[in-house]
Amino acid sequence: MAQNARARAITGPQAVTETHDDVSPASIDRVLERLWHLLTSMRFVLVVILALAALSLAGTLIIQAPPGVFDDPQARADWVAQVRPKYGSWTGALETLQLFTVFSSVWFKATLAALATSLAACSVHRTTGLWRTAVRPAVSPGDRFFEHAPQRDLILSGNTPDEDLERVRQVLRRHHYRSLLQDDGTLHVYADHNRWAPMGSLAGHLSLIVILAGAIVGGALGYRNDSFVVAEGSTAAVATDGLAVQLLSFRDSYYAETGAPADYASEVVLFQDGREVGRHTIRVNDPMRYDGLSFYQSFFGPAVALTITDADGTAVFDEGVPLAWATNDGARSVGTFVLPDANLTVWVVGSAGTDDPVIKPGQVRLEAYRSDGDGSQPIAMQTIDQGTPATIEGLTVTFERENAYTGLMVARDPGVPLVWLGSAMLLIGFVAVFMFPHRRIWARIAARRGGSSIALAAVGRHDSSIEKEFLELATEIRRALQAPATTA
Amino acid sequence: MFKMSEYALVAAMLSSGMAVVAYLAYVLGGLRAARMQSAGGPVRTVSVGFSLGPGLTNVGLYGTILAWLAFAFLGLSLVFRAIATGHGPFANQYEFAVAFAFGTLAASVWFEARYHQRIISLLAVLVALGLLLYATTIPNNIDPLVPALQNNLLLTVHVATAIVAYGSFTIGFVAAGLFLIQPAAGRWGLPRPELLDEIGYRAIVIGFPFLTLVIILGALWAEVAWGRYWGWDPKETASLVTWLIYSAYLHARIVRGWRGSRAAWLLMAGFGATLFTYFGNMVFGGLHSYAGL
Repeated sequence: MAQNARARAITGPQAVTETHDDVSPASIDRVLERLWHLLTSMRFVLVVILALAALSLAGTLIIQAPPGVFDDPQARADWVAQVRPKYGSWTGALETLQLFTVFSSVWFKATLAALATSLAACSVHRTTGLWRTAVRPAVSPGDRFFEHAPQRDLILSGNTPDEDLERVRQVLRRHHYRSLLQDDGTLHVYADHNRWAPMGSLAGHLSLIVILAGAIVGGALGYRNDSFVVAEGSTAAVATDGLAVQLLSFRDSYYAETGAPADYASEVVLFQDGREVGRHTIRVNDPMRYDGLSFYQSFFGPAVALTITDADGTAVFDEGVPLAWATNDGARSVGTFVLPDANLTVWVVGSAGTDDPVIKPGQVRLEAYRSDGDGSQPIAMQTIDQGTPATIEGLTVTFERENAYTGLMVARDPGVPLVWLGSAMLLIGFVAVFMFPHRRIWARIAARRGGSSIALAAVGRHDSSIEKEFLELATEIRRALQAPATTA
Repeated sequence: MFKMSEYALVAAMLSSGMAVVAYLAYVLGGLRAARMQSAGGPVRTVSVGFSLGPGLTNVGLYGTILAWLAFAFLGLSLVFRAIATGHGPFANQYEFAVAFAFGTLAASVWFEARYHQRIISLLAVLVALGLLLYATTIPNNIDPLVPALQNNLLLTVHVATAIVAYGSFTIGFVAAGLFLIQPAAGRWGLPRPELLDEIGYRAIVIGFPFLTLVIILGALWAEVAWGRYWGWDPKETASLVTWLIYSAYLHARIVRGWRGSRAAWLLMAGFGATLFTYFGNMVFGGLHSYAGL
């Protein structure tokens, strides 16, 4: 970005104004040309960047709907109703303008697309210039350049031009400049240092496209389940690839002094088609990774361990049921499981605590529905005590004990490597451009009566470090040229 | 160690306060000298070159020494606190306020050593002092780390990088402010506009890559701890806004019509966004709102 600054500022002598004499009759060409001009114009980039900044700022100032909420009309209406008191009559406008979902809004996507297009266009636009500067720089920039360059110096010496050339090149070599020579009666020297570093600017700009590509790939091909729950002692299938997670134990611990959380740890075993493939204690900063899939500690809550046997005494269910949902009033936690053979869907409702008049601590209420029914009327409803078998629909149900479930986030994001690649490119770009700045100097050595005259020039308009380095170099060259010719 | 850290902090505050006084005396004296020179005769080009009495030069030197002392004391305070807590001293609002002030002092002494503009140091140390005073108003107890912060390496590197960026941005803000209040080139004996422009630019050239690194390290950490590298958490987004404004600045500086005061306004906006990023989690909550407030 400032790389541009430097590259532009020191376009120097090879800055050629291209004139387009051949005006194409086809207007489409003109439109394309104008578009290209727009996309590669710094002003346009500036406006796009500031528009992105403004949109992002809006995204922090205006409450944003959680992801997914706006996909469901009912959830959307509920959410909007919830923020209406805060935004009053503005609510409708904010919703219509997609400002509750700024980061997935048309505005944001369009601005990002404009940025990516412009970045690509600018990169293409500048590559040839950067390449030429590195590979085929202008060695002889013309006399006017030596009179007008921002940094310039003129040294008179009593030596022959060839002798001076050798001395100048010696100084330049000492400073790790490579030098190119052109001899047309006058000796022209071009020398530079870190000539590939400006390419870092290209890498830095393209890196943003790589990161955006990573985000798009992740969004299109990734998989994410924010609420994967499994109760202690139970196994739950992950929606992909025949994977299943068994939770051996979940522990949440707290600091004695402050009561603040100290640790959440889920000890899990991972199965692939029934075969154990991994075992890990998942913590907040320590996810489990397997085959591109990551399991993160996200939340936790109470679970109820139930055993169910049928009339023959055969066990049909022996698992923990995570009470991961809540009743509409939010007071009680709720879980559910399905008994396919019995065509039953059972809801398990936990106690709201010691004040709960209906379901006391140590009890759960079971509500059984026909799985193929409309779910409006339970066919059985019973509150049962822990450890006391009860009979529901001919099945013997025992509430064995209370334990915990863990809530994991399961994610596969194939875009992540691209994001890290882009990040690395961005940092490499900065290092190249800012830590290894491209330095260039031109020298013109001409014979004069009794010796030579040596003109030096460099271009660094907005950068005093270029000025400083030029002065050092010029001083050293002056000293070398005016030293007595003993060893030369 | 906790007590030692407190003492060092008080020493740093006292040094900063005295540095501000010394710098102020120096700057005011210098400005008056410049005004008298410009009123008395043909206006001399005033950069650093106006003549100062020997007393004034000494006062300036005291300011510099005191600023270095404040920098050293605050560094010590952070080291002691890190020893006391067992992690990088960056885990809550208080610790980060002190660290921010430290970054500002570090940037101030570095830029003074390089550009010799004590008026910039004056304003930067004033900002640092303000942050330290703010720090004294918020709880400074040492609380153990909540699970999300239990990543000593990333906690230390992520936030240490942030204070370098924030410190540099403070210098950029100060330089831009001086640039903008200048009625015409060099009047009032302020540093030359070109010099202010360059100091601001240099500050962003240092701070911007560091901010980039902060965001990338944050993304790395978020991927490990929160399960995604980016989630539009308010602090993430605010840091992106800051990043965008400074990248706009770097581009603006080379566009005709944007150079000069418009670029300086972008520096002001960038610092505004920096402060918003820093204080914002108190306003909008989010995953970055940790212990302390």
